[in-house]
Amino acid sequence: MSTPLRALRQRRRDSVAVYGILLAGAALWLFPLVTAVRASIAHGGVANYWTVLTSTYNGVSLLGAFVNSLIVAALHAILVCGVGALAAYAFSKIRFPGRETLYHAVLIFLAVPGVAIIVPVYWITGQLALFNTHLGVALPEAALTLPFAVLMLRNYADGIPDELLEAARIDRAGHGQAFWHVFLPLCRPALINLGALSVMWSLQDFLFPSMILKRSDLSTAAQAVRTIESSFGPTPEQTSQYFAALVLLAVPVIVLVVGGLRFITQGITSGGVKE
Amino acid sequence: MRSKALGAAALFLLPLLAFYGVYYLYAFGVLVDASRTRTSLSFTDATVVGWENFRLVITDELFLRAVLNNLLFAAVSIAAALTLGFFLAVSLASGVRLRRFFFTVFLLPSLIPLSLFATVFGRMLETDDGAVNALLGVVGIGPVDWLGSTGPSYAALFVLLVYLVGLPIMYYTSDLATTNTAVLESAMIDGAGSGHMYRLILFPMLRNTHKTVILSVLLGSFRAFDVVFFSTKGEPGGRTQITGTYIYNTMLGENRIGYASAAAVIVLVFALAISALQVLVTRRRAR
Repeated sequence: MSTPLRALRQRRRDSVAVYGILLAGAALWLFPLVTAVRASIAHGGVANYWTVLTSTYNGVSLLGAFVNSLIVAALHAILVCGVGALAAYAFSKIRFPGRETLYHAVLIFLAVPGVAIIVPVYWITGQLALFNTHLGVALPEAALTLPFAVLMLRNYADGIPDELLEAARIDRAGHGQAFWHVFLPLCRPALINLGALSVMWSLQDFLFPSMILKRSDLSTAAQAVRTIESSFGPTPEQTSQYFAALVLLAVPVIVLVVGGLRFITQGITSGGVKE
Repeated sequence: MRSKALGAAALFLLPLLAFYGVYYLYAFGVLVDASRTRTSLSFTDATVVGWENFRLVITDELFLRAVLNNLLFAAVSIAAALTLGFFLAVSLASGVRLRRFFFTVFLLPSLIPLSLFATVFGRMLETDDGAVNALLGVVGIGPVDWLGSTGPSYAALFVLLVYLVGLPIMYYTSDLATTNTAVLESAMIDGAGSGHMYRLILFPMLRNTHKTVILSVLLGSFRAFDVVFFSTKGEPGGRTQITGTYIYNTMLGENRIGYASAAAVIVLVFALAISALQVLVTRRRAR
């Protein structure tokens, strides 16, 4: 398929320049990854990977860390999609007084930085007895993601014709039935995108796990980067092993985000702070 | 009828409002209370000190520096987005081979945990055995003390921010796919050069995308905690700190929770004000 943008590369030297820049850029962007892999086998070779995979560092095993990350990410995604879909239904399909004002008030919290509420989150987590639980991390993460979820899902829901839901409600079905049997299935594409984004954002989170999961066997992958650092000495062998651990922590994330890249890009761009 | 709708809406909104009630409204209350005391993370033995913490925060040179760094880093990210991000997205959309490969490579640093990416990046900058100095040594430059002096550590952070240009590339790519660019073909027949097409045709054509990109980068810059925390750690001497790392680091001090909370309140007021402004502006335009 041809695009008019091809005109930008009509002249041969333009095309050479574009490819030159893309290749140079790709080399630079891959440089950290290549460096990490090279450093990981510089001393001790590929055996380092086996060593770090089968050892525990400061009580953290890499596999365990990854399992913890996935549990938190799954809880976070379920909370965000569930609560977000319910709210989007109300904001898009129920006409109630003060709707737009409340909607905009909800969106204002898009900008809250996690680190700014870390003190109260610490206090609340203590009150709810959620320290050292996966849910204790997933809840505040979900609170930070929900403004985006509401924005994105409402954008999507506004594109669903009201007639489809009204037809269901004429059959004496309540809002609950209309939500469950008509609205949710229609929102599936948007919910998949949001779910992929929620998993990614949770995998990226360092702050909340580092405050809430203090037991080392509960450490998540992003948190483990830091937790295990001090157990590697400054010798060349141990430095190589630390890099091997970093690469191993990155591989599952890379596989996940590259696999879900389509959903992630669709999700981010459809929920963008659009005009 | 109206009250019936209100009741139904309340039911659907209940979970959301519960989240907001606990993690925002109640949390802000806790934060403001804590900001007026001297206390530790156990929250016992709090001494009320009034607005003293706020006075100390806003007169702390390092806090002001952190606020300025926030703005500076946001500006750098925006500049990188509007130039490099725009250029890369347009190039990728011009029917190049290996498009998916390039797209993935440029996005990858933005998608994996920053704790991983920034840690590897920070290690690459080490003076004696870091990969960057090794590379520069080949061309006869070096060795640079990246993390020990102010200029190079800023430079290192700027480069790190440029690596995170993936998000703008996503926005541009998505909007380019739905923009009618047929005008380029007639421009080409008229003999327009490619530089002309980039700057004078495509760049103005995507002005709504620029706005989206600027807003999202600006909002994201308040959340750039990990970028600094895992690379320069605010060194040297706290000069490359941003507000996020400032709050986190003061929190770790003895009995400094009240002080950290005061800093957090100030940052929140800033962030919410920008956000509210943006909501108001988009709302007015929507009418």
